[in-house]
Amino acid sequence: MQVGLGRRARWARRSVRHAPLGFVPLAALAVLFLALPVVGLVVRAPWRELPADLTAPGVLTALRLSLICSVSAVAVSCAVGVPLAWLLARVPFPGRRLVRALVILPMVLPPVVGGVALLLAFGRYGLVGQWLDRAFGVTLPFTTTATIMAETFVAMPFLVITVEAGLRSLGQRYEDAAATLGAGRWTTFRRVTLPLIAPSLGAGAALCWARALGEFGATITFAGNLPGSTQTLPLAVYVALQNNVGGAIALSLILLLVSLAVLVALRGHWFGSR
Amino acid sequence: MSLQAHIALRIGSLDVDAELTAAGCEVVGLLGPNAAGKTTLLRALAGLSPLRDSRVVLDGEVLDDTATGVRVPPERRRIGLVFQDYLLFPHLSALENVAFGLRARGVSRSDARRQAAEWLARLGLAEQRDARPKALSGGQAQRVALARALVTDPSLLLLDEPLAALDAGARAELRRELRRHLATFAGSCLLVTHDPLEAMTLADRLTVLEDGRITQTGTPEQVRAHPRSRYVAELVGLNLFRGRVTDGVVELSGGEELVAVDDDHLAGEAFAAVHPRAVALYRERPQGSPRNVWLGTAEGLEVAGDRVRVQISGPVPLVAEVTPAAVSALHLDDGGPVWASVKATEVVVYPA
Repeated sequence: MQVGLGRRARWARRSVRHAPLGFVPLAALAVLFLALPVVGLVVRAPWRELPADLTAPGVLTALRLSLICSVSAVAVSCAVGVPLAWLLARVPFPGRRLVRALVILPMVLPPVVGGVALLLAFGRYGLVGQWLDRAFGVTLPFTTTATIMAETFVAMPFLVITVEAGLRSLGQRYEDAAATLGAGRWTTFRRVTLPLIAPSLGAGAALCWARALGEFGATITFAGNLPGSTQTLPLAVYVALQNNVGGAIALSLILLLVSLAVLVALRGHWFGSR
Repeated sequence: MSLQAHIALRIGSLDVDAELTAAGCEVVGLLGPNAAGKTTLLRALAGLSPLRDSRVVLDGEVLDDTATGVRVPPERRRIGLVFQDYLLFPHLSALENVAFGLRARGVSRSDARRQAAEWLARLGLAEQRDARPKALSGGQAQRVALARALVTDPSLLLLDEPLAALDAGARAELRRELRRHLATFAGSCLLVTHDPLEAMTLADRLTVLEDGRITQTGTPEQVRAHPRSRYVAELVGLNLFRGRVTDGVVELSGGEELVAVDDDHLAGEAFAAVHPRAVALYRERPQGSPRNVWLGTAEGLEVAGDRVRVQISGPVPLVAEVTPAAVSALHLDDGGPVWASVKATEVVVYPA
């Protein structure tokens, strides 16, 4: 490839290191592949009908349900995930590696498999489910609770992993200092540890929320697709795509907007410009 | 106020076994080379390290006793610890940092803030009360850390190299200030340092820790005059030998002999200390009264003030302190043979 001398000199000054041959076009291909669908979504969106599409009764219902379920999933994840992250980071208990592997499992497990697994555990004839059914008459599958459970199952690992990493990099020394000043474990956690891991907790919660909001496979398997009680935005997008493409695009735009917002919120924590 | 502690523990390759005591408002300097286990001992006293066979008693209260399984958690010990890098909480202001210990002990918010403000004012930090630790200079952060540890009125104050993180200019000033605060502090204080000047000026009594074991205790004067290890001898600038003494003659392990004037008629293992200034150097074998004469080689030259310290290697390696004029007159810089002599009256002998 012939490049003008002046231009080459400019490149040499700007780039720290020359890329191996072929990397630049391949990288450009990757960027194009990632960008084109987003561009397509924005370009093909029926902007004129968008207000009507977005305010259609089914859409608003799905949006509300999505928000309720995803926020609940984040709340549950924080309530049990932060203590779990603390134990993983601070206490060398036997089987810690096994527990950590278990935490990461939902991140690599196909969500549909997660849904099937949830059914086998909490379904009417599941391990815990049949007992819940007999003892309390509680049936979980195909309820809003099931949606929250499915979303928590797939999203909590993001929170646990991020908070655990934050706790590890913080170290124990500030907690030691608090202890020598007379602070008990709970005071130390509340007044020292928690404020100092706030950035990690925020990032973890944002990732967790984004994952919960986009949850599809586990939800449709374990909670079904009932408008009003289990049909969240991603499910509504899928259904709308069959008969109302404009609506599907409108819903997708909402989810895209949310993803961008999370990305902006995480800027500097995980995806800092280096 | 009194501390009696016997601490034994093992962390990684570090094996510590040491007795520590402090009484009244005494300042005990814990002196030792890097990685001797000084910080580990402080952390153990504060309840932050796992112990093996240990017993710690503070003001009659048993804090640790591995034999009976007693272990008081760090937050219930009346012990203040100033960490080497201070560890001020970065998310709290100077005032909130100082008030933290009071709040944790159940003092009301307004009382805690009032007392913390008083302490900051006493340390000349009234204007920095709302500053975050990041905005404080090293000296200011050190004062805040000291105030944070003292505000809860501990029985025992542990200072881990309190001045090490400061630059030389601020260190001298803060050392004077620290001595003033320690003088008014009612409890005992244990001060870790590897700086002999800090140890000599701040401590009433010194404990030397080397490789996890205590090698010497005593007043700064005693330690300075009678070092009991190579480390201390180097620190105070003395030549130190160890051997068997009989009738004033110290037989060193290599078979060489060191003649001393021994009025105490010591016998058995003994140390012999020789000040570098008492070592005379000659090009030719000296004739005359000195009883201790050895042939050696001048190896290292090091300027110390208006003197030059000469490292002599040979059967009896030692350091001599001579004038620059002597260095050129004796051609010491060419590394040739040199005779070293010490008068018997300059050799201080004391039992090992």
